[in-house]
Amino acid sequence: MNDTPVRLHLYNRFLADGRPPTALETAEALGVPTEEAEAAYQRLEQAHVIVLAPGTTDVWMANPLSAVPTPFRVVTGDGRSWWGNCVWDGLGVLAMVGADGVVSTSCPDCGEPLELRISGGELEPIDAVVHFAVPAARWWDNIGFT
Amino acid sequence: MLAFRSEEHVDRWREQRCLAPGAVFSPDQMWRLAYDWYRDRLSPDWQRKTPEEAQALLEEIGLTGPFWRLRP
Repeated sequence: MNDTPVRLHLYNRFLADGRPPTALETAEALGVPTEEAEAAYQRLEQAHVIVLAPGTTDVWMANPLSAVPTPFRVVTGDGRSWWGNCVWDGLGVLAMVGADGVVSTSCPDCGEPLELRISGGELEPIDAVVHFAVPAARWWDNIGFT
Repeated sequence: MLAFRSEEHVDRWREQRCLAPGAVFSPDQMWRLAYDWYRDRLSPDWQRKTPEEAQALLEEIGLTGPFWRLRP
């Protein structure tokens, strides 16, 4: 099975509903057996496109989107909102939907709020730095901690 | 990856957690990486980047050196 229809359905529903569709919902929407949708979800995870909650076919991350609240809130100029998995993904949500907006987070050291604002497709100047804890070769060892 | 007020804040946070030094770079580089990485994710034709393509993208925005090497 070509996984593109599953991927597109998953992302489009996630964006529209604010949560990822279950494999059952995807199966019903695409008119395929549930087992086929579940297998597609697992293949997408193996291909590092999405991340499933351990031991389930529930979507945890459909990068750059997170199915659970995180410290990276994304709000577009027209009021749509989601959670990103990290700063990269928070900004990635705005890139993916092609919208201006704000990624709200805070400095893990002092707690001061930080807002990364995209306006006209450009990042507005901000006095901040980004830190990557894990070398690139090990990003997928534990994608929940990078 | 996390955003901090400054490198000093990164160092303090890291030392409190006994974490080895990572990599620090600018929010502008982060935006460029995020943009190039995700802008086509909703396209039917989207394909996951090959390691070579991903490495070239990192290099293009100035993320070079052993830390950014995707293949050990």
